[in-house]
Parts: sequence; C-alpha cells; structure tokens
Amino acid sequence: MKPVINIRSGSLAILIIAFLISNPALVNAQKDTAKAETVEMLSPSMDLIGIQKGDNTIDLKASLKTKFKGATIKLPHLKVHFLAVTDSGQKELGYVITDKVGVSLFNIKAEGLTAGKDGKVKFKAVFDGNKSMDPADAEVAFKRARLEIEPVKGDSTYSANLKLVDVSSGKAVPVPDAALGLFVKRSFYPMKIGEAKTDSEGLATIEIPAKLPGDAQGKITLLAKVDENETYGYLETAVPENWGVAVSNQNVELPKALWSSHPPTWMLITFIVLMTTVWGHYIVIIYELFRLRKEEPKIVPES
Amino acid sequence: MQLNSYQQQIFDHQRPQIEKFSRRTWGWTIFYLLWIGFGGIALYTQIAKGHKVTGMRDNVVWGLYIANFIFFIGISYAGAVISGILHILKVEWRKPIIRIAEMITVISTIIGPIFILLCVGRLDRLHHLFIYPRLQSPITWDVLAIGTYFTGSVIFLYLALIKDYAIYRDAKLNIPKWKQKLYKILAIGYRGTPSQKKHIAISMNLMAVMIVPLAIIVHSVLSWIFGMTLRPGWHSTIFGPYFVLAAIYSGTGVLIMAMWVYRRMYKLHSYIEDKHFIYLGYIMMVLGAAYGYFTFSEYLTDWYGSQRWDAQVISKLFDPREYGWWFLFANVAGIVLPIAVVAIPKTRKPGLIAIASFFMVMALWVKRYLIIVPTLETPLLPMQDTRPEYVHYHATWVEWALTFAGVATFFLFFTIGSKFVTVVPISEFGDEEKKKAKASAIEPAKEIATV
Repeated sequence: MKPVINIRSGSLAILIIAFLISNPALVNAQKDTAKAETVEMLSPSMDLIGIQKGDNTIDLKASLKTKFKGATIKLPHLKVHFLAVTDSGQKELGYVITDKVGVSLFNIKAEGLTAGKDGKVKFKAVFDGNKSMDPADAEVAFKRARLEIEPVKGDSTYSANLKLVDVSSGKAVPVPDAALGLFVKRSFYPMKIGEAKTDSEGLATIEIPAKLPGDAQGKITLLAKVDENETYGYLETAVPENWGVAVSNQNVELPKALWSSHPPTWMLITFIVLMTTVWGHYIVIIYELFRLRKEEPKIVPES
Repeated sequence: MQLNSYQQQIFDHQRPQIEKFSRRTWGWTIFYLLWIGFGGIALYTQIAKGHKVTGMRDNVVWGLYIANFIFFIGISYAGAVISGILHILKVEWRKPIIRIAEMITVISTIIGPIFILLCVGRLDRLHHLFIYPRLQSPITWDVLAIGTYFTGSVIFLYLALIKDYAIYRDAKLNIPKWKQKLYKILAIGYRGTPSQKKHIAISMNLMAVMIVPLAIIVHSVLSWIFGMTLRPGWHSTIFGPYFVLAAIYSGTGVLIMAMWVYRRMYKLHSYIEDKHFIYLGYIMMVLGAAYGYFTFSEYLTDWYGSQRWDAQVISKLFDPREYGWWFLFANVAGIVLPIAVVAIPKTRKPGLIAIASFFMVMALWVKRYLIIVPTLETPLLPMQDTRPEYVHYHATWVEWALTFAGVATFFLFFTIGSKFVTVVPISEFGDEEKKKAKASAIEPAKEIATV
C-alpha cells in the first residue's frame, strides 16, 4: 500500500505546486505583501514662514516636500496643523490641507498674540505623518512690526514713502537700516520697482516710474515688502493707486496677417481649395471602388 | 480572372516569388531585423536619456534625422512622378517597372516621417499639430501635405494592384489560407467586367493626374521649411523647384537600383530589360543636367553676392578642412558621374548605370546633409563664450544606428512587399502584349515553314 500512498501524496504535491504556479494572484499577493514590508518611508521636510501684512494679520505659509529618487516632490493633499507657541505651552490655531504645490496658507489676526521673553511671537506647523510618510514640523519666530506705505504724487513724479516700525513693545519704534523693496502687483509674480534701506527714522523713499501699465481703469497696486529680515521675518503692505496707464483687459481681435493667430484670407482660401480638390478626388475614387465592389457578378466567368 | 498567354507566362515566372519564402530571404529578413533591433536600442537610449545623446544642440538643432527625412520623402516622389507621368503619356515600356516605382513611393513615404518623430522631443505633444495648427507655419503645411500625399500614394498603389490581387485570388496559389483571404478582401470583388474595368480606369486616370502636381507641391512645401527662413543657404527663391528636381533625380536613382536588384534576385531579365535601364538612364541624365544647373545657379548667386553670412556658408562648403571634400563628392558623384556614364555609349550598361545611380543617391544624401548642417553652424547672431560642441555638429552612434535602422526598414518592407505582390505587374500586360506573344509564336513557325 505504501507506494500507492506515496504516489498519491506525490501527485498531490505536484498538483499544489502547479496550482500555485498557475494562479498568479496568489503569487502576486505574496509578492505584494513582501513589497509592502520593504517599502521605505518617505521623510518629508517642512518650511514655515510668517508674513506680517499691512491689515494687521499674519499669513503663516508652510511648504511640505520630500526627496524621492533624487528629485524633489511637493506634497499635496496633506493636513498641516498650525500652532501658536508661547513660553507656557502651545495652542492649536487650526489646520489647512496642502494645495497642489504642497503649500498650506493660514491667516490669523495679529491682535492678542502673546510674545515670548525675547519679544518674538512663535508659531509651529506640524504634519502628523501617515502610513507612507514620517511626521514633519517647522517653527518660526519673529518680532511684531508694521510696514507702512504712503504714495506721494509730485508735479510730474511719483514716489512712495515707506516706513518700518517695531510694535513688539506696544509702541511704534522706528527700525533703521532695514532693506525694503517696492513692487507692483502683476498677474503672476510682482514686478520689482526699486529697493532702499530705512534711515534712523525707519523711513525710505522709492521713486516710481510714470506710465506703468495698469488695469482697464489705470489702477496699479503698490506693494512694499521686507524679505528674510533676521528679526522681523517677512512683511507686506499693499495700496492701490490710479497712477498707471489704462490698458484694456479685453482681448483685441487681431487682424488677419502672417504674424497673427488668424491666417490671411488668401492663404485660407488657397488651403481650402487645395485640400478640397485633392481630398475630393480621393472621395470620388473611393466611391468608384465601392461601385466596383457592388458590381461584382454573382456568377464568376469561367477562366 | 482570365489571363492571356503572355500574362500567364509572367505570372508563372513570378509564382514562386509569392509562394515561397526562401532561406536567402529569411537570411536577409533576419539581418534587417537585427539592424532594426540595434536601432531599437538606440531609440531606447534616446528616450531614456533624452536628446543629449544625439549631436544636436542649441545651434545645430537639425542633423542626420532631418537629412534622412528629406532624403526618403525625396525618393518617394520619383515613384509617384515617374509612374504618374508615364501612365498619363501611356508609355508602353513603363509596365514592368511601374510596380517597383509605386512601392518605392509608399515605403519611403512611411519611413521618411518617422525621422521627424525621432528628431522632435516631447512626442506627447505631437497631437497639438492637429489640434492647434497654425496655418501660416510651414511645419503645418508640411504635416498636411505629407499626410495627403501618403494617402494619395497608397490609393495609387492599391488601384494598380486590384487587378493583380484578383489574379492571385483566382490562381489557386500554394499559399496559407490567411493570405488567400487577404487577396480576396483586397481584390474587392474584381472580376474584370467592362464596368469594373471602367471604374478602375477612371480612378487610375484621376490619381495619375492628381499625384504629379501633388508630389511637386508637397516637395515644394518641404523646401519652404528652409526657404521661408532668413538663414544663409536656405533663403532662396529657387529652393522649391531645386528640391523637386533633386527629389525626382534621387528617386530615379533608387528606382534603377531597385530594378537591378529585383532583376537579379528574381531573374526578371525577360521583363526588366536593358532598355528600361537605358531609358531611365536618359531620364536620369536629363535630370542630372538640370540639377547641376540649379546647383551652379544657387551657389554662384550666393558666392557673387558675397553677403556676410552667405559668404561664410560658401567658404565652409569649399574649405577642405570643413565640408570641402563632401561638397566635391556631392557634385562629382551627384552630377558628373551619372551624366558621364549614360552619355558615353560604352558605359551605358545596366550594371554601370546601377552603380552610377548608387553613387548619385549617396551624393544626394550628402547634399541634404550639406544643406542642413553648415547653415545651422553659421548662426546669424554671433555667439560668445559658447562651447565648440554647441556650434559644430557631430552625429553620434545613436543617430547613425537609427539612420541604418531606417534604411534596413526600407529594405525589409521591400523584401516583405515582394512576397505579397509580383514585382512585375501582370494585369498591366493586356491585348497588345497578347498580339506580340502571338506574333512571336508565328515568327518561328514561319521560319520553320520556310526551312
């Protein structure tokens, strides 16, 4: 009997192996499990900056990205929590989901913020991590300040007086020797007009060129900025002025020309005539072939 | 399909060509496939690493690929123009060679545009050419013209094949069933009734009339890609006719070479006779003379005008340290040699005409290269502190591999094509050949009777 059992068990083993081989789902499932175990966790990095705005609010901007196979990837659709950090602890302000370029923008009112012993307000952004990514966080601290802009119209010239004051102590203290920039808002990135450093009064004046293209009403938006200041971080203040040249925002119909998006009439006619003639002939020929096919005699002539 | 005795004789002679795929044919097919495979490796390298693996850079943005594109599109016109014109003029000696000419047209029109695809990056945006065409752009003209021309040449070839497909269908060939079915489908029920003959005749005449101006327009459009720009060596009013002439000229050379190869391969000496080589040799000689005249006129005016940039290009073409030797080869092998071989009675022989055609075709390929590269190496704006490799073009192994893969594909299509259709068309030989066949049968009988 033994040999019979051996043969049967041998056959069974062969059958099982054959089943496993012929069933890719099982094999793949095993492979997937193995893969899942060996998947490396991504380690994202986070940048956080605070932009003090002219309307007494602060934009907290967190950028989340990671390195994958040597390339930097911006991480969208992830939850980033924003916290206010004080000497006594931290308080959650809220959360924002990162956009398609991995940025979360959180706006808070600047009133009532508690500064630390060093006079700086502190914020923290936290990403808790998930199945495939490690957690990440970043902190930012800066002294409260205010950037003011005063447009000045001369007889034939335009300028802007900019003033930077420290308000961390509750009083407006001028900030000397700080780099400022003046920009005009555009559809995409703001256009730089000039830059200057504040004097002992915290003041700086920048000239504005005349005849800047504005919107349909000739309006331009002046934007004063402080970037990457060691003490105050980032500041922005914007003010609209009717100093620009009115540029219609309506699309002007371009004439028919070689250089425009509409071809000259003669070219269009030539093209249509040529194409219609040639393709028309093709259609006639194909029609002739269809007729030929239809006219196949039912009784084949003897060869 | 009823065949006359002469048609039957031609068919019986070529029957094995369709029925058998000989060892030699297999050998060549594998050889071509290996070349194409090597081209595939080059293509993978180009896609994986980008166009930096080619010699094309900021200044010289076109190289071997565009030279190949113009070359293949050029030779395609010869088939169309020669077969179209000879058909309209009802030239009798065209019949045995017309199929080869039409095959050259279709095959090279398939291969030519592939080089454009190899040349451009971002193939994912290729459909933009059709979705957002700009009618003022010569590139748009070219895409439309080549698409239209390709369709026309396929229809032209197919029309000429319908009668032959009907013959293959009814001939009880010793071929696989799928091939028999294919012939049945392609014959579209042609039985040789008078009305069916009329449909074919109308279509053929229409296409023959259409294909000649179409070929001229299409190659003119191709030349305008260069001629419409203000670059030295390109901005020329004669570029349209110059390109058309060069295209038909090089195509005639390829036709002669193909005739020579097929004649030897399938022993078609009775049909593709010495006179066919000589007649095509005459055509080649006339075209060669006209091409030489255009070349001389083009470079003479540029040289005499001595405009700064034109003079720079001319000096590069004449300088032996740059393109001097290639320019000399292009003109000697491309103009002098074919004219001399055909003009001298002693050398007016099929073998020598075929050899002269080969060198002429090579010379015209070099000529296309010389039209593209020296001009692009002469930028209108002076370049400062630029790398020498950005100014001077050197083709890389990737470009050469893909070039040879294109040539191998051309030969492969010919090899496979000749296994599906007879190289010498059967249906073309109608009643006149029947009479001739009868006459040739009577002549020996008379001789015997007199003896």
